[in-house]
Amino acid sequence: MGALASQAAVPTAADAAGGPDTATPRAPSPWRRRGVLALATLLPWVVLVGAWELAIARGWMQASLIPPPSSFIGYAIESNLKVGFGNDAMGIPGAILASVYRVLAGMALGFVAAIVTGILISMSKVASAALLPIVRGLAPIAPIAWIPLGIMLLGIGNSTAIFIVFVGVYFLLTLSTVAAVASVDQRLVKTARTYGASPRQVWQWVIFPAVLPQVFTMLRINFFAAWMAVLAAEMVGLKNGVGMMVILGREMFNGNLIMLGICIVGVVGYAVDSFLLFLQRKVLWWQPPGQ
Amino acid sequence: MSSLTCARLGKTWPSTGGLTVEALRDISLSVSSGEFVALLGPSGCGKSTLLELIAGLEPITSGEVRIDGRPVAGPDPSAVMVFQEHSLFPWLNVSDNVAFGLKMKGVEPAERRRRAGEVLERVRLARFARHFPHQLSGGMKQRVAIARALVGNPAFILMDEPFAALDFQTRVLMQQFLLEIWSGFRSTILFVTHQIDEAVLLSDRVVVFSAGPGRILEDVRIDLPRPRSYTDPTFNDYRVRLTAHMEREVMRTQEAELAGA
Repeated sequence: MGALASQAAVPTAADAAGGPDTATPRAPSPWRRRGVLALATLLPWVVLVGAWELAIARGWMQASLIPPPSSFIGYAIESNLKVGFGNDAMGIPGAILASVYRVLAGMALGFVAAIVTGILISMSKVASAALLPIVRGLAPIAPIAWIPLGIMLLGIGNSTAIFIVFVGVYFLLTLSTVAAVASVDQRLVKTARTYGASPRQVWQWVIFPAVLPQVFTMLRINFFAAWMAVLAAEMVGLKNGVGMMVILGREMFNGNLIMLGICIVGVVGYAVDSFLLFLQRKVLWWQPPGQ
Repeated sequence: MSSLTCARLGKTWPSTGGLTVEALRDISLSVSSGEFVALLGPSGCGKSTLLELIAGLEPITSGEVRIDGRPVAGPDPSAVMVFQEHSLFPWLNVSDNVAFGLKMKGVEPAERRRRAGEVLERVRLARFARHFPHQLSGGMKQRVAIARALVGNPAFILMDEPFAALDFQTRVLMQQFLLEIWSGFRSTILFVTHQIDEAVLLSDRVVVFSAGPGRILEDVRIDLPRPRSYTDPTFNDYRVRLTAHMEREVMRTQEAELAGA
């Protein structure tokens, strides 16, 4: 204690109490480092595609079963980005848009509804007793299991696909919201109350913004499951979308179409996930980067 | 002139299995306008609970708290609380954090910004108005939290170990900052701490608490001229006297815990 006490008298400038020790931005990494990272990202793809093309060219794999990118990309261009015949004919861009629209619409509805339900459950013991068991009972059901019911109730169309995605995320996100509300820092709630916030204002201005990031993160984690659910719905019933493309390929014994469909599923999934990550950073704008 | 009195105040928390825990017993305390009072005691002695009762954040079990003669029945803008670190709203920038209480009261946005700007100017944080909490150091965050308390001109500022999470250097600077604020704004401060040096350095009075249940052991007036220095021999006398009290209480609590276990 003695040593500490003698130090205590030294600093006197109260100004320095809040030195902006975090204000300096990190220096950009050198170009060489970036180049290495870009190469590390690119190289595995080049190797993968190269090996694939080589295996086909050498006859180690059958081009009709697993056509390489040069084949199915060429096929997509040749066919003018249109696949299928007659009633089944569809444009590839239209198929992508249909699938993406379905997954985003279902997720957006599920997100909003889950936050409303979750906050309602957290606000009232009666609402909790009434709704929580139902939510917990329905949450474990795989989205795919809802497809037959969705088709029977809503017929074949966008609403069925949106319904599948909705039930796929809604119950889980409701539980996340309840958990997020329970974990809100009580100091923030008490701070709001000491400044005269009414219970309603505490929910509106403290708990709601505090749970948003956590629930949005759960939404993003659940995107892949939602994406798979949409594709499955398209494969079994809906007459268009990326999932339908793959099934069309099977029905037509068209390896190019199957591979093209699979690659589009991957690329579009990756793109939408990146978009959600971007949104998450916007929603979580107050969080330091990297969290 | 504002006044704060606690009369035979008691608080009992519900515990598991229908049992209760007595946190505070028979607290009588009065604080006059402009005073800086430290509440000193070992961890778990109920001194933070006392602040929450005064702030109207928790219901009182027995006795009463009166601010300006009126019994406290809920949160009151005349007595606001400043917590440890992490009490800033991370989604609001500095200016909006400071203006939070004004927003709850329905003050117009332009007026809110103006008043927040004024206070930030006085605590020399004006150029950080648009920063978010995560961009600030621990010391700056606490300065913002203090500015947020000041903006509504409360008669009493209740501080619950506000510097406990800061490193030693920052804490020393923050203590001086707080003294400047206290003399500049003529506020009355109740300051919970478990650090004897901090209590003696800052306060006019140190109220020493016992643990389990919290009771007032002693109310010591610190008769030292300001600015104070840790190296002053009289400072040391106070420290020795309070240390003896604290040691006895810590030992007593530990014995009680061991006996209970």
